[in-house]
Amino acid sequence: MNTDRFDLGGGEPIIILRDVAKSYWREELEIPVLQGIDIEIPKGSYIALMGPSGSGKTTLLNLIAGLDRPTGGSLEVCGYELNDLDDDELAAWRNAHVGFIFQNYNLVPVLNAFENVELPLLLTGAGRGERRDRVDQALTLVNLTDKMRNYPRQLSGGQEQRVAIARAIVTDPDLLVADEPTGALDAKNAEEVLALMERLNTDLGKTIVVVTHDPKAAHHARHQIHLEKGVLDRTVEVNR
Amino acid sequence: MRWLALIWKSLMRSKRRTLLIVGSLVLSVFTVAVLQSLLTTLNAVTNNPNSSNRLVVRHKSGLTQMLPRSYEAYLRQQSEVETVCALQWFGGYYQDPRNFFANFASDETVLFQTFREEFGVSGITEAQMKDYIRDGAGCIVGESLAKKNGWKVGDTVPLTGTIFPISPRLTIRLIFKSPKPSDENVLHFHYKLLEEGVPRMKGLVGSFWLRAHRPEDIPRLIERVDRHYANSAYETLTETENAFNLSFVKMLGNIGAIIQGITAAVVVAILIVTGNTMATAIRERATEIAVFRAMGFSAGRVLTLLLSEGVLLVGVGGLLGVLLANLAAGGVRESLGMAMPFFADFAILPATILSCLVGALAIGVLATFIPAYAATRRPITEGLGSVG
Repeated sequence: MNTDRFDLGGGEPIIILRDVAKSYWREELEIPVLQGIDIEIPKGSYIALMGPSGSGKTTLLNLIAGLDRPTGGSLEVCGYELNDLDDDELAAWRNAHVGFIFQNYNLVPVLNAFENVELPLLLTGAGRGERRDRVDQALTLVNLTDKMRNYPRQLSGGQEQRVAIARAIVTDPDLLVADEPTGALDAKNAEEVLALMERLNTDLGKTIVVVTHDPKAAHHARHQIHLEKGVLDRTVEVNR
Repeated sequence: MRWLALIWKSLMRSKRRTLLIVGSLVLSVFTVAVLQSLLTTLNAVTNNPNSSNRLVVRHKSGLTQMLPRSYEAYLRQQSEVETVCALQWFGGYYQDPRNFFANFASDETVLFQTFREEFGVSGITEAQMKDYIRDGAGCIVGESLAKKNGWKVGDTVPLTGTIFPISPRLTIRLIFKSPKPSDENVLHFHYKLLEEGVPRMKGLVGSFWLRAHRPEDIPRLIERVDRHYANSAYETLTETENAFNLSFVKMLGNIGAIIQGITAAVVVAILIVTGNTMATAIRERATEIAVFRAMGFSAGRVLTLLLSEGVLLVGVGGLLGVLLANLAAGGVRESLGMAMPFFADFAILPATILSCLVGALAIGVLATFIPAYAATRRPITEGLGSVG
């Protein structure tokens, strides 16, 4: 492993964070979660955000993904200054540029695999035929075309997460964010999901930012960013 | 997948809950539709446009007291009066006491002119009228009453009296059609038959029904008739036909207030039930809503989806409710239309259907909006449970 502070290599940055801070308020009390985050992440990176509980890694992921707003600093992601977007613009931006992978898959239980993957496409204005083609492609990529009519309850955990990955990539976003994507999976399924994510990074060039406690999951990333008490502690380049 | 499919699938995630709430909506809308239609029917009885120039003269002390038939001469003399028809409720039944319908002894010579709107005189020939007038034991019946009993012209109808101790055997001379079904559930026979059969009725009558030339003559006529017989042995109470009918409706109490009170209670109850159900359903989906928003669904779009679910839910309930009420209206007409003729007109009118559906949709929007709005205002990260 190569340990260099905040050096993620060259390349065109897709994520630029300048002095980003985030605090929560509990009544009168300000609780700082992130402070002075200054980092550029090049396009095509595969980053693992690591750190102890409460270090702010999920908060940082949420800020990068436009799920939350910073209390200070600026974030430019996929060419957009997120502070300049209103809530509706931010929603449209997420649909176009970010794919989400959650620990508990968060598939809609009343929709089958095909419909779950199709969901983000309903916002894109794509016609029925185009939506079908793109869903087919996404499900083929995660090797689940034979399960497209199955409902989440009829899938294993690993299959559910692969459907969730298909849903995340169906709009062809630049950025994939994942919060503990293998946290609910056994070792075999976790390895399959991690291999799939690695392929999305290497073969399709997707930028991936993943929050994980799991050293094995982090080992699949190219860089690890460690946070400690809301500040960047160090970056580690992973030698795979 | 289309938007409607998404809404429908979301709605059917808990089939039992959805069916229960739709069931309660169906019952509520049914109850409101039937009650409001009852009110409309009763209002129609007391606001009959056909009776705008008709008056009822009866004994001031009540309907059971008789008036002398000799009053008829004075009433006829009034220049504003077109016809005067003596009329007595007979209260007889055909074959079975349960087979009850409205039947009257009336002055056959002026009956058709006095109630020309109800008899649809245009369809009755002069010969048919004369046929009835000539036969002292003849009677006329409305078409729906004749249909119900399988009667045709020339049939004999034995009528058993309940108020008067006679049981006339009447021959049907005419079957008439009316613009309103309620006016067809009636039988008239000659007043003379009652007078001759019941000695105590000789020279007496329950009421006179007057037809004025013009509606504007009525107030003057009322005042003059009652003044004329004031302080006599048989004082009169003269009123419009609508006021007369209203006195029967009032016997049921303040039915309007009762119906509106029940309607308000039903609406409030269903609003609370629907609101609580929607709030629970939306709360259970907090994570799912956050996932939708993370994927790019704006708060407004999620709110629209949730509101659509609420509106679809109550829309289905409302539609089924008015359909059921419509079916029940037929039953009400069938079962009560004979005993209480105004029920023969009982129907769920388009205006009632529309107001029930609009009301149901308003309940859907109201019941869903608050929990849905709150859910869409909640930070996405809270919904995902991902802070830290």
